[in-house]
Amino acid sequence: MKKTLKYLSVVAAVALVTGVAVAPASQAAKIKACVVLDTGGVDDHSFNAGAWAGAQSTSAIADVSYLPSSSAADFAPNIKKFIDQKCNVIIGVGFSISGEIVKAGKANPTIKFAVVDDGAMDCNADYSVCNAVANVKGLTFSTDQAAFQAGYLAAGYSKTGTVATYGGAPYPTVTIFMDGFAKGVAYYNKAKKKNVKVLGWDPAKKTGTFVGDFSNTSKASQLSQGFEQQGADVIMPVAGGLGASTAKQSQQSGKSVTVWVDTDGFYSAPQYGSVLLTTVAKGLGAAVKSVITDVKKGTFTGAPYVGTLANGGVSISPLHDFASKVPSRLQLEVKMIGRQIASGTLKI
Amino acid sequence: MKKVWERIAGSALLPFLSFLLAFFISGFFIAFSDANVLKTVGHPGKFITTALSTVGNAYLALFQGSIFDPNLTAGHGFMRGFYPLSETIVTATPLILTGLAVALAFQSGLFNIGAQGQFIFGAIGASYVGFHFTFSPVLHVALALIAGVVCAALYGGLVGLLKARTGAHEVIVTIMLNYIAGFFILWILKTTTFLRPRRIDPIAPDVKPSAQLPHLAGADFRLHAGILIALVAAYFVWWILNRTTIGFQFRAVGANASAARTAGISVSRVTISTMALCGALAGLGGAVHVLGSQYALTADIGGSFGFDAITVALLGRAKPFGTVLAALLFGALRTGGRTMQSNTTTPLDIVLVIQALIVLFIASPTLVRFIFKVKNLKTNAAMTAKGWNG
Repeated sequence: MKKTLKYLSVVAAVALVTGVAVAPASQAAKIKACVVLDTGGVDDHSFNAGAWAGAQSTSAIADVSYLPSSSAADFAPNIKKFIDQKCNVIIGVGFSISGEIVKAGKANPTIKFAVVDDGAMDCNADYSVCNAVANVKGLTFSTDQAAFQAGYLAAGYSKTGTVATYGGAPYPTVTIFMDGFAKGVAYYNKAKKKNVKVLGWDPAKKTGTFVGDFSNTSKASQLSQGFEQQGADVIMPVAGGLGASTAKQSQQSGKSVTVWVDTDGFYSAPQYGSVLLTTVAKGLGAAVKSVITDVKKGTFTGAPYVGTLANGGVSISPLHDFASKVPSRLQLEVKMIGRQIASGTLKI
Repeated sequence: MKKVWERIAGSALLPFLSFLLAFFISGFFIAFSDANVLKTVGHPGKFITTALSTVGNAYLALFQGSIFDPNLTAGHGFMRGFYPLSETIVTATPLILTGLAVALAFQSGLFNIGAQGQFIFGAIGASYVGFHFTFSPVLHVALALIAGVVCAALYGGLVGLLKARTGAHEVIVTIMLNYIAGFFILWILKTTTFLRPRRIDPIAPDVKPSAQLPHLAGADFRLHAGILIALVAAYFVWWILNRTTIGFQFRAVGANASAARTAGISVSRVTISTMALCGALAGLGGAVHVLGSQYALTADIGGSFGFDAITVALLGRAKPFGTVLAALLFGALRTGGRTMQSNTTTPLDIVLVIQALIVLFIASPTLVRFIFKVKNLKTNAAMTAKGWNG
């Protein structure tokens, strides 16, 4: 026992001494950019990963760091931690963190804040009056525009005449994808006088199919299988990392293809590349990057950013493996629709 | 007097040695998961110094993030440096209460896996009374706490009732009830009664200021009166177990149910009241969490408080004050992990490794005894294993 204890104490002592001695050197030229992630973790291949990748791409001008959140209870202490660390800009990922970011923004007017996926307004208790906060920028995305294109593409690609979508949870940032998708299908039906059915979302009633969270992989597989049994051959999961469950199902059954969301799945989840029809991409990373560069340049404002097809904030990814399997006429139509939406001639 | 100290030292030795070992082994994880350390693998001398400084920095950050951080004192006064300690206490408060809910069950020979569900019901009850009604401040807090406790006590008591009447094993029942509570809160947050106006994501309105637990150290700190409630609850559990007839019956049933029955103790009554009391404790945790720091009910309000509680109770050797200390340790690890991740490159997940290793060593006293060559290491493995046999 004595020997072991001796070793332990020596190691502990040396560790403490050297640990204290080697303090991290500060780099004056760089700003400090800090990201508080949503639940789901940095490796979700989707939402958090996209935002963090955007922050990392600024490492030449900023020291970037992040903190994960295991539940909503972590938001406030995580933000507080970054305030104490004197971050120049703090970016919250996910609209559920918005309230805490706005609160922190009002209390710390010298620090810049941004929220991915929310307008980040300062609202009163019953949300009847909302005001912008000068040092807090909301980053939102009109993903329904790109999802509309994906819906049109899916309807044209479907051989069974049935397509499907489901969400992780009925959050506005999720349903906006499903809404655009269903409307895109409806537009196709109207243009081509077809009757392609959409399972999983009713744009009129605003109701649909949801997993309940963003982590239950077995439920996601179950839903995908159920959609296949009902004849759907294109499925768009809007559930972060759960998209992998659907893509896996597509791969195993060969009965469906998957429409990925957030970041081009052909690169972020290459193992499923062969079954990914396309991706409804949300330029999370680019938006986060622009916030950090703006803070560095001193051009940051609290004015909200809305990603659209027109400004490239949202887009539909290349078809990759499906480029040869989708009729070129359909591909052209999807592009045309994109241009019309961007220019405002086609209203969703 | 010496005897008392010996007893305390004896029962604290295993957790302490486990703690030491866990930190020692986690040091290797920290070193070998660090890119800078791995770069120096070819040069033994440089490797050792880099590894040691990485591990040292990580543990220093863990300390600064959970107890005292001198960097925070600048411009705010010395006391501000203890901000991390206040955060540790805030995180530990609900854990103390859920930990007690598991520890008390252990004492009575029951394995309460259901603290998670009971916690959620406590949070729901407290939140509803907190945002829906208006009362004068002190009364409002009290009523909201009571609402949470009652909801959860009924939810916990149900387990006891099922076990006493039908023989359904409490482990299975509590696990299933956790699922029910998890989905119940998802559903209830969709109803117009609970959903915050103009929101469609699952979040309830903030509880009214009159229902919020008072802050203990001013507005700059989140430290709230919940810790006092938790400490009183811990004392209460100790008092029940050691100073009351019903507590004696709890322990008698825990020690040997058949013997207790022969001695005239109603085992089914003890089972029901233990589980109701456990539910009440976990529910108090949920209520304190909502009224003290969160204010709004969200779908993930339960976090992992109910599951970590099992670890906490094990680490605290199913004793009330041991549980308090174990919960504080876990609160410190979680709070400090945040600083560790943001100050150094060591990921927050290392904290989970440390927690898991502590439990691993606590659960295998023979191993610890072997490593440290200690004789007479006191264990309570018999007590904590009993729950499975029912």
